[in-house]
Amino acid sequence: MSDMVETALGVFERQLGRPLEAALEVCARCGVCAEACHYFQAEPTVENTPVARGEALRRVYRAEHDFLGRIAPWWVGAERLDEASLTRLAETAFSRCTLCRRCTFNCPLGVDTPLMMRAVRAMATAAGVAPEILVMLADAAIEKGRSPEIFRDLFIEQMTDLEPELRQVTGNPQARLSVERPGARVLYVALAGVHTILPPAIIFTAAGEDWTLSLFEAANYGVFLADPGRAKQIAARIVDEAKGLGVEEVVLAECGHAYAALRWEAPTWFGGSFPFRVVSLVEKIDTYLTQGRLNLDPRAVRERVTYHDSCNMARSGGVIEEPRRVLRAIAPDFVEMTPNRHEALCCGGGGGLVALPEYEDLRLRAGKPKADQVRRTGARTVVAACENCRLQLGDLNRHYGLEVEISAVADLVVRAMRPADLNEEAVSVRAEAIAA
Amino acid sequence: MSVLLVSKWAALAGLVICVAGLGLRWRRSMARARPRDLAPARGSGMAGVAYAFTAGMMPWAKESTRHHWIAYLRGIGFHVGIFIGLPLVAANPWWGLLPNGPRLGLGTLLGLCAVLGAAGIVMRIREPILRTLSTADDYVAIVLVSAFLAFEAAALVSFAWMSVMYLAVGILLAYIPLGKIRHCLYFFFARAFFGQFVGRRAVIHPQLRVASPAMRAGEARR
Repeated sequence: MSDMVETALGVFERQLGRPLEAALEVCARCGVCAEACHYFQAEPTVENTPVARGEALRRVYRAEHDFLGRIAPWWVGAERLDEASLTRLAETAFSRCTLCRRCTFNCPLGVDTPLMMRAVRAMATAAGVAPEILVMLADAAIEKGRSPEIFRDLFIEQMTDLEPELRQVTGNPQARLSVERPGARVLYVALAGVHTILPPAIIFTAAGEDWTLSLFEAANYGVFLADPGRAKQIAARIVDEAKGLGVEEVVLAECGHAYAALRWEAPTWFGGSFPFRVVSLVEKIDTYLTQGRLNLDPRAVRERVTYHDSCNMARSGGVIEEPRRVLRAIAPDFVEMTPNRHEALCCGGGGGLVALPEYEDLRLRAGKPKADQVRRTGARTVVAACENCRLQLGDLNRHYGLEVEISAVADLVVRAMRPADLNEEAVSVRAEAIAA
Repeated sequence: MSVLLVSKWAALAGLVICVAGLGLRWRRSMARARPRDLAPARGSGMAGVAYAFTAGMMPWAKESTRHHWIAYLRGIGFHVGIFIGLPLVAANPWWGLLPNGPRLGLGTLLGLCAVLGAAGIVMRIREPILRTLSTADDYVAIVLVSAFLAFEAAALVSFAWMSVMYLAVGILLAYIPLGKIRHCLYFFFARAFFGQFVGRRAVIHPQLRVASPAMRAGEARR
């Protein structure tokens, strides 16, 4: 047995807790999960069924843990892991599963195929056969956390440069884009790029929030690698920052996996809940609306709007009604896709797929059911509360000629703000810039 | 020793193997780590588990079963047969006390369940994707269960089939911990984990959202 295979099997054994064992054992191979998967909907082949993906790992499990698998492997379809099968498994887990959980929700037994695919990703990462780009992105984020002083001044300077625009848009001469300000009530963690900084800053300012901006970005590529060690180090940057500043709340940018990671996974990595609350920006905007802290024009967004449920936000996070309440408050022609909410189709960009150019063709093909779904709504604007979904939807828009605008919830909220909250002329300039 | 007595001993041996095998598996499973979810809950895990074993099992609860309700009901009918058939074997000494009507009715019901099982074999052979994914274990498991149900149905109609029924149940019980039929044990784990997940995260029941202590503290500070 090679070192690579031994390492992978070692990781597999460590992953083999009760939930994974149940997922490996319970499948009756009825195949009812097949049509739940967007890969299968796009291309109905055996390898695009969740059950086939699960079987790939089950064969290894049976060879190691099943009595019949050891004495009569052909009887139960057991197969020893070798370098070739490990590479195939890794390829499947990173390219043919977005960890969207739609199959689990559609399985009569509740087989958690994404859990199995995460186990494979963990094995592949440890054995050195995970996609290099994901490893590099995760390691770069960790490195940034180790030496924040290298880029702190530059980042603060960039934010200072943005302040005049914030003041102009909000009409508030006191508006600030402070970074790591001690004593702030809210720490907002953006993504790379001003598009996830300025609209939330406008909203926070309009709502009179006591907030500050994180030095770090919310994305956590350790999650895509299923590597809790890396994921924890990336999350620790924000956790330590929030603890150091003494904030009450960490608000995450509209990013599905960042929300699932920090809201749902990180407390387990760190051994307990945090002294601050973790919420998504969408939940925060919904709260502001409920509290009457935002003055929005209910007819501001005149075109037909639809909402795409990010799998991490909805099926894995429970953030389902909040974005809908916000959109209904500003878009009279809001329509649902069918199916939606926890039954929503994955766009095909999750699980780190949008960051992997080698799988672009496959990703676009797998996104066809979502593209068809968007087209059926007749919407001109598709809103998603997840950056990776927006990237994928943008690619689907170009590839399938959907002729729609892709937007974040916050962008539409800024469009809908009444002059009492901000300078209308400046907003339209900003909206055009965002659309461009 | 009569054939009937031998077959009864075979059934008893099968039961011992089944209980011991599943018991060992249960022990092994319970010894495995169960990672605790330490994130503050958004909803009720208990409500989620209750959902997973009740409303969540209904044919209309999932898109897959709404689209393939005939296949789902076939599976449900087959499993209902198993849950009736196995306890009924244990009640065999009192079969003679049953009036003919109910006895023949039970026999007909189990016979139908056996047919539903046999239909599953046909589906597995005819459907190319299922055929590709199937192993010998898949076919043997469904044949053993369907045969048991058929012989039990026959024995309810005519006691002459009794020894064949005992032999069938003995083989079936002995095979349970070895093959895929042991999913009967893991079903409860898998559905409970699923229920915990959707319940704690308020995915299925947003109306059951609860405020965690951290959330309540946050609200109070505001």
